[in-house]
Amino acid sequence: MSHADLAAGKVIRMSLLFRVQHLFLTVLLTVLAITGFALMYHENSLAQWIIRLEGGVHNRGIVHRIAAVLLMANLVYHVFYMLLSREGKPELRQLFIGRQDIDDFLQSLRYNLGMSKEYPRFGKYGYKEKFQYWGASVGIVLISVTGLMLWAEEFSMVFFPKLVLDLAIIIHGYQGLLGFVLLYLWHIYNVHLHPSVFPMNPSWITGKVSAEWLREEHPLEYEKLKEEGLL
Amino acid sequence: MRKFALTAVLVFLGGAFLPGLARDASASISLEKCTLCHGKPEFRKLLVDGQIRDLFVTGDTLAGSVHAKKVCADCHFDVSEIPHRERPKRVTCTHCHFKGNHEGAPQSDNVLAYFDSVHGTAIARGNTKAPLCQDCHGSHAILKAKDPGSRVARGQVAETCGRCHMEIYAQFKGSIHGTALAKGIAEVPSCTGCHGEHRIYARKDPKSTVYPTHVSEQCSKCHSSVKIMGKFGIETEQVATYNESFHGVANQFGSRTVANCSSCHGVHDIRPPADPLSMVNPKNVPKTCGKCHPGANPNFAVGKIHVDAKKKESGIIYWTATFFKWLTIGTMLALVAHIFLDMYGRTKRLRGER
Repeated sequence: MSHADLAAGKVIRMSLLFRVQHLFLTVLLTVLAITGFALMYHENSLAQWIIRLEGGVHNRGIVHRIAAVLLMANLVYHVFYMLLSREGKPELRQLFIGRQDIDDFLQSLRYNLGMSKEYPRFGKYGYKEKFQYWGASVGIVLISVTGLMLWAEEFSMVFFPKLVLDLAIIIHGYQGLLGFVLLYLWHIYNVHLHPSVFPMNPSWITGKVSAEWLREEHPLEYEKLKEEGLL
Repeated sequence: MRKFALTAVLVFLGGAFLPGLARDASASISLEKCTLCHGKPEFRKLLVDGQIRDLFVTGDTLAGSVHAKKVCADCHFDVSEIPHRERPKRVTCTHCHFKGNHEGAPQSDNVLAYFDSVHGTAIARGNTKAPLCQDCHGSHAILKAKDPGSRVARGQVAETCGRCHMEIYAQFKGSIHGTALAKGIAEVPSCTGCHGEHRIYARKDPKSTVYPTHVSEQCSKCHSSVKIMGKFGIETEQVATYNESFHGVANQFGSRTVANCSSCHGVHDIRPPADPLSMVNPKNVPKTCGKCHPGANPNFAVGKIHVDAKKKESGIIYWTATFFKWLTIGTMLALVAHIFLDMYGRTKRLRGER
């Protein structure tokens, strides 16, 4: 953290590499959602307009597959980065879901319902961030499995009957919808609509958040940085 | 003077009545003149290719046909000399059959539709084997298409088309549509049911009713009708489920290579799935799918092809879809509830800080 940042009360939350991975994730998921839902809801006139825009169903499929391959590559890179890099390893440790997260979730529920006066105190990643992180990661892995099965349909059908591929279509589509709903209702709320960040948490672009925000939303992380003398 | 007056009256009367008399007389004379030669049963001609052309015609030839009141020269109007110095030309039906005619022929543009069709354009390009009107409708014994005896009636037209399209006719006769037609079932399509009547186009012509992207629409005219299919115990949602499948979606967006109804079920040789010769008999499914999916194995025949995830009969597919539907709805409700609770809690916290 530079002195200028410290003077301005800024704390680094996302390093450049994480921001690049996040940007890839954002763009690719958007492309996949647009091309995917256009096919899923092909009767809709907007979907038909989108498919025409993409140059027909065949080209739509190519765009969808290119985005999918890049997304899988992004995820593989991310897994290696988290497991092996100096920056990734401690991050991964902080992202593990533990007993504390369930307690925090229940505590926040109790607080919000007026049954308790204490709001949980989060570290760098609270239950909201962890749920988002693991939900997206596991979701991408699962949707990739059905997606690859459908892509290589002739190869899949060497091993599986048609019934399994019919199931794969259903799961792939509905899982995409579920992921989309999660993304919108959870992530958009947490990083855009939440009153503490509205209209947007800038860290995905600048990588920085204000120390004040950190103290309010992630007090344990704030205190840890303070102890380490980084603030 | 009296002589002159008489002549004048005669000329006047002659002018008024004779043309009528003369026409009737010339018509009957013309028939008599024609049957002078053509009325002999042995009147025929040996053609260069060795075929015999029967030229036997009597006064009864047109009786009972739609042209019962016509005479030879009404259609063979190019015949002016007996014996004919040149071979009389083929009859041109368009002489009377066009919209706006005064001859009493039906007012229809079918002749224009024909000239645009694959047969009409082949004629225009000089293909002498392509059919003219009379090749399908018959020459002298023309009946209305609604008349069961007509060569273009529903029950007869396949045989008429089959005179040129022999292989296809043989396939059709063995198909489910062909056998049903032979049983006299009224709803079943013959050639014209799918290909159209005068507007017949080559299957690679985008105007054709059997162009790759039009096939499912053409089949669905009958196969999505509960009224028709109910009589024979055939499901009607096959077209809807096809349209929902990858094949159907690609087809709707204009893919000409993706499978349509006839790619799997056959074209003229469509047979019910239980028939061992059917392309969609479970034993033949791998081969049928293998036309496009190289290496297709018996796995292709496991599970229903026309599957509808919205129906309970689809078993595990229905339950998976239903599970995901409620999971998604449940997740949405839970997240919305969480968001509102969280916002409420945060407002409370802010108030506490102040």
